[in-house]
Amino acid sequence: MNSTVVSYLTGFEPVKQFIAFLTKSLGFDVTALLTFVIFFLVAFVIVNIMAAIGGLGTYAERKISADMQLRIGPNRVGPYGLLQFLADGVKMIMKEDITPRDADKFLFFISPIFCMVGVFSTLAVLPFSSGFTLTQLDVGTFYLIAISSLVGLGVFLGGYASNSKWSMLGGMRGASQIISYEIPVTISVLGICLLAGSLGFNKIIAQQAGLPHTWFIFHNPFAFIAFFVFFTGALAETNRAPFDLPEAESELVSGYHTEYTGMKFGFFALAEYVEVFVVCGVASALFLGGYNVPFNLGGDGLVGQLLQIGAFVSKTLALYYVVIWIRWTLPRLRVDQLMTVCWKYLTPMAIFNLVGMAFWVYWFNGKSIFDLIFAAGSHAAGGH
Amino acid sequence: MFLNTLFFLSTFLIFLSSISLVTTKNIMHSCIFLLGSLIGVAGLYVTLGADFVAATQIMVYVGGIVILMLFAVMLTGGKDFVSRAQALMGLIPAMGNKFSTFVGILTAAVLVISTSKLFINLRSAIPQNKMAATESTVNKIGKLLVTNHVLAFELSSVLLLGALIGAAIIARPKKIF
Repeated sequence: MNSTVVSYLTGFEPVKQFIAFLTKSLGFDVTALLTFVIFFLVAFVIVNIMAAIGGLGTYAERKISADMQLRIGPNRVGPYGLLQFLADGVKMIMKEDITPRDADKFLFFISPIFCMVGVFSTLAVLPFSSGFTLTQLDVGTFYLIAISSLVGLGVFLGGYASNSKWSMLGGMRGASQIISYEIPVTISVLGICLLAGSLGFNKIIAQQAGLPHTWFIFHNPFAFIAFFVFFTGALAETNRAPFDLPEAESELVSGYHTEYTGMKFGFFALAEYVEVFVVCGVASALFLGGYNVPFNLGGDGLVGQLLQIGAFVSKTLALYYVVIWIRWTLPRLRVDQLMTVCWKYLTPMAIFNLVGMAFWVYWFNGKSIFDLIFAAGSHAAGGH
Repeated sequence: MFLNTLFFLSTFLIFLSSISLVTTKNIMHSCIFLLGSLIGVAGLYVTLGADFVAATQIMVYVGGIVILMLFAVMLTGGKDFVSRAQALMGLIPAMGNKFSTFVGILTAAVLVISTSKLFINLRSAIPQNKMAATESTVNKIGKLLVTNHVLAFELSSVLLLGALIGAAIIARPKKIF
C-alpha cells in the first residue's frame, strides 16, 4: 500500500486507540469510514489553502510588479492591501455571467472546469512533507505530468468554444505551446528519476538532504543544466511571461479567456496561479531538496512535519518570486521564437542532459560531484 | 469498499460518456465524451492495481491523442463537418449503409464470442476485495521492457521514428526527390 496521510496518522498510538474505541462503541469497523473522513478533511484543507495561495499570488504579483515599476500597488483593502484578492473574488462572483450567443455552450462551460481539475488533481501527489502528502504514489511524477495536461485541453477548448478569432488564436497557441514544452520538461524530470532510481516524489526527496550540496541541482553538471531547462519549460507550460503568448494582450485582447466573464474567468486565473505554485513545488522537490530540513531538525514528530512544510513552502515561494520577477523583466517572445526555443534549443539540451546523466550514473555509481571532490581531496591529503 | 466505489464510478463514467459519444450530433462534443470514457478506463486500470498503465493511459490519451483529435477536427471544419450528415443519409458506405452495418454487427458478434471465453473465469481469478497489487508495477514493467520484450519495445520505437520522419517529410515545403 502506498504511504498516505492516512497511513501516517494511523501510525500514532492515540489514533489507534481512538479507532479501537470507536469500533467498540459504534459496533462496526470504522477504519474505512475514518480513512474517507481523513482524506476528505485533508483534501478540503489543502484545496482551500492552495486557493488562498493562488489568490495571494495575484496580490504578490501586483505588489512585486509595483515595486519594480516604482509604484505602490494595491494598498486599500486590509493591512497593506492584503485582502485585495478577497475583494477581487467577491467582485468576480457578483459579475454577470455572460455566454456569447454563438458560443458552443457545453464546451464553453466545461473548459474552465478542465483547467481547475487538471491543476487541483496534481495536489494529490505534491509532497508538502513526509507525512502530510495526500498520497505518495510510486508513479508520482508521471501522474503529475499526465494529469496536468488537462490544463492544455482546457485552454484549447476555451479558445475554440468562445467562437471569437482572438480566443481561437490564443487557444491554438496555448495548446501547441503546452504540447511542445511538455517534451523538454518531461525529459528533464526523467533525468532526475534516473538519478534517484524512482518515479515517486518521496523516494526522489529521500535521496537528497537538507544542505545544498546534497541537492540534485548540484549533483552533477547535467542536472544543473536540467534545472534551467525544466524551469524554462515550466514557465512556458504555465503560460507565464515571457511565454504568455496565449493571452498576449497587445495582439489578442486577452487570448483564450477574452469572452469569459465572472467566475469562469476567475477559474482560469486561479488555475494559472495555483499551477505556478505546483510547478515551483515540483522544481523544489526534484532539484532543491524538497521538504528536507537542514540537519534533520525536528525529527519525525509533529514539529518535524511542520518544519518540513516550512522548508518546502519557503523554497517554493522563493521560486514563485523568481517567476514573477522574470515576468516583469523580460519582454514577450514571438511565436516563431517560442517554437525555436523549444525545439532547437531546449529539447536537444534536455536529451543531452538525459544521456549525460545516464553516463554519470554508470561511471561514478551515482555519486555526486561533491562526493568525488571530497574523496579526491582526502586521497590527496593522504587519507584513505 | 474503496475498489468497489472506484469501479462503479469508473464504469458509470464510461457508460454515460460512451452513450453520449455515439448519440451527440456535434463531433467536438464527441471528442470530449471520448475523453471521459478514456479517463474511466484509466480508473478501471487503477482498480486492477496497474498504476503505471493508468498514468500512461491519461498521459497518452488526455495529453496527446484527444488534443490532436480536436486539432484535426477543428482544422478540417469543426462542428460543421458534413460527412456526418452524409453518413446519416447513407451516402458514404464506410459510415453506415446496410452492408457495412451487417459486417459491423457480425464482427462484434465474433469478437464477443471469442473474447467471452477469457472472461468466464475472471471472477474466480481475481482475489475478491483486495488490492490487486500492493507494490508498484513500475519496476517490473521496466525490467520486462528491457529484457524479455526488448524486441517489441525497439520495434515500436522504430515505428514511431518512422511516423515522425514521415510527418516531417509531408510537412516539408518543397520536395526533396
